[in-house]
Amino acid sequence: MPQVEIPKDSWSGSVTTVTLGATAADGGTRSHTITVGGHKALPFMHFEQKMAHRPLIALEIKDHRPDDWSPLLLDLWGDAANDPASWAKAAESAGADALVLWLSQNGTDGKPTTPQAAVASTKAVLQASGLPLLVFAPGQAELDNALLVPISEATTGERLVLGICEDKNYRTIAATAMANGHLISTRTPMDVNLAKQLNILVRDMGIPPDRILMDPTTGGLGYGIEYGYSVMERLRLAALQGDGNTQSPMIVTPGAEAWKTKEAKVGHDVPATWGEWLERAINWETLTAMALVESGADIIVLRHPESMRRLRAAIDELMSVPA
Amino acid sequence: MYIIGENIHIMSQRVKDALQAKDARFFQERAVQQVEAGAQALDINLGPRKKDWEEVFPWMVQTVESVVDVPIVFDSTNLLGIEAGLKKVTKAQPIINSTSAEPERLEKVPLLAKKYNTRLVALTMGASGIPVGADERVTIAIEQLIPRMLEIDFPMSDLIIDPLVLTVSGCQEYCPELIEAIRTLQVAWSPSPVISVGLSNVSNSVPNENRSLINRTYCAMLMGTGLNMLIGDPLDIPLMETIRIIEQRDMSTPVGRLFLKINDRIAASEYPVLEDVDAGDPEQMAIWKTVQILLNKVIYADAYLQL
Repeated sequence: MPQVEIPKDSWSGSVTTVTLGATAADGGTRSHTITVGGHKALPFMHFEQKMAHRPLIALEIKDHRPDDWSPLLLDLWGDAANDPASWAKAAESAGADALVLWLSQNGTDGKPTTPQAAVASTKAVLQASGLPLLVFAPGQAELDNALLVPISEATTGERLVLGICEDKNYRTIAATAMANGHLISTRTPMDVNLAKQLNILVRDMGIPPDRILMDPTTGGLGYGIEYGYSVMERLRLAALQGDGNTQSPMIVTPGAEAWKTKEAKVGHDVPATWGEWLERAINWETLTAMALVESGADIIVLRHPESMRRLRAAIDELMSVPA
Repeated sequence: MYIIGENIHIMSQRVKDALQAKDARFFQERAVQQVEAGAQALDINLGPRKKDWEEVFPWMVQTVESVVDVPIVFDSTNLLGIEAGLKKVTKAQPIINSTSAEPERLEKVPLLAKKYNTRLVALTMGASGIPVGADERVTIAIEQLIPRMLEIDFPMSDLIIDPLVLTVSGCQEYCPELIEAIRTLQVAWSPSPVISVGLSNVSNSVPNENRSLINRTYCAMLMGTGLNMLIGDPLDIPLMETIRIIEQRDMSTPVGRLFLKINDRIAASEYPVLEDVDAGDPEQMAIWKTVQILLNKVIYADAYLQL
């Protein structure tokens, strides 16, 4: 058999290395930190460049029991979902690499979440779990600012990831992140040009590249994932080609997207050929996430621990360098 | 360069208001301004005018023809309206803009163009939209657009093929493909078909302050393929100056020399290189960055010049 030479790409650029969380030694309270990014080649192309850091999987928890989550998820988390501290502990024992505390728009009383409540939830999670933490506000620019600034100030030095930083409110969030030693997650709606533009704008504020994550937004399987995939692919190729404003590690939220789909959400009055509900829902989340891992996702935010186990097993295989 | 002036377009609020008020003077001034600035034909896009086409199209022809002699380009999807306008034309041979390879359009529009002896812009776009690749756009021209013209015995010299400019903000991958499409179209048929493009589309949804730079840089690149007809803004002075520099090969300024170099690189089927640019000159660096986004080498962002 003739020896086949495998062609290798060599790239001039690389993905920025970003560390989440700070331990006591660095002014935080996390039990450990996690580092993502650093890639010098496309994902899992170990024969070109060994992948610097494996993708990390975060589980999403809420500040109180959500009323719009699938009963499959609520049944699974049970009473733990009643308060953020017990949910954080449960997610840590389930094996999450990191936690995303995604704040609700309203409190249990139906009124908008207050800054005091948001700070209290964040602190409760930080006390309950030593994992690196990402805190996402509900996604409404003004409310997000009102919640994230006090959270940022109350957790100085923790190297939290503050999100969601959009074109409407990036100034406030980037400023408070810089002032208090946190990171930001920028989000743009599935568009390479807008992703790059927002990166330019936050960098213009003076926030260092190693404190920026980029959320290019994705859709669930069957609901626009192909757009999300190709945006991520283009951003990653540009990053490796040396475009400095596309080099942030990418974070995606396939859990939230997949669990919005009818296929995951609805258990009755669907065709029998759709198969068993729980298995279908987990497959939907896992396959959505898997596609994004292949397109370069560095942080994957999921909702179901079984999806996390399956995704992790797949990443384990992809990470093992063939002898 | 044969320039079709684009400044009577319903997307402009002032045009919308003037049309509402039937302000003939506004349209006459715009027509004269453009012709004086170098437009050799005038594109008139009033939208479909579903309700008042019978009145508006003839009125516009008479309004414009009373002050200028250049061809009127009927830029509309409303064939009844176009026909009503064509009946009133008394001056130069008009142009219909446009047909595509979409079956219904390709069936009807060329027949209208033939009946009224107009020229006809044909877009390399089928029913399923605009193909990214140069080859696919050329294929539409030679397998659908040109055969239809031959079928109805439409004079090839009156056919104007438009291989489609798309915006660098969102459709960046189309930009370099157009260069290749124009190159290939010129040799895909004998004699070479007339080719025109809607230049300003390249900067659609780009912030205003960068539009002219993107337009003229792309123009310099496309002229390197031999393009000699476009729909654009004749009132854009730097654009017109760039066209003049390239046509006259005016080497008297550094920026002019750079535009010529860009033009020559494309003409030689090469890409411009950094060595062509004086990196100490901010204006030249801005042009260089613009070339990079137009060739899809660097991802476009509104702030691309800041980098």
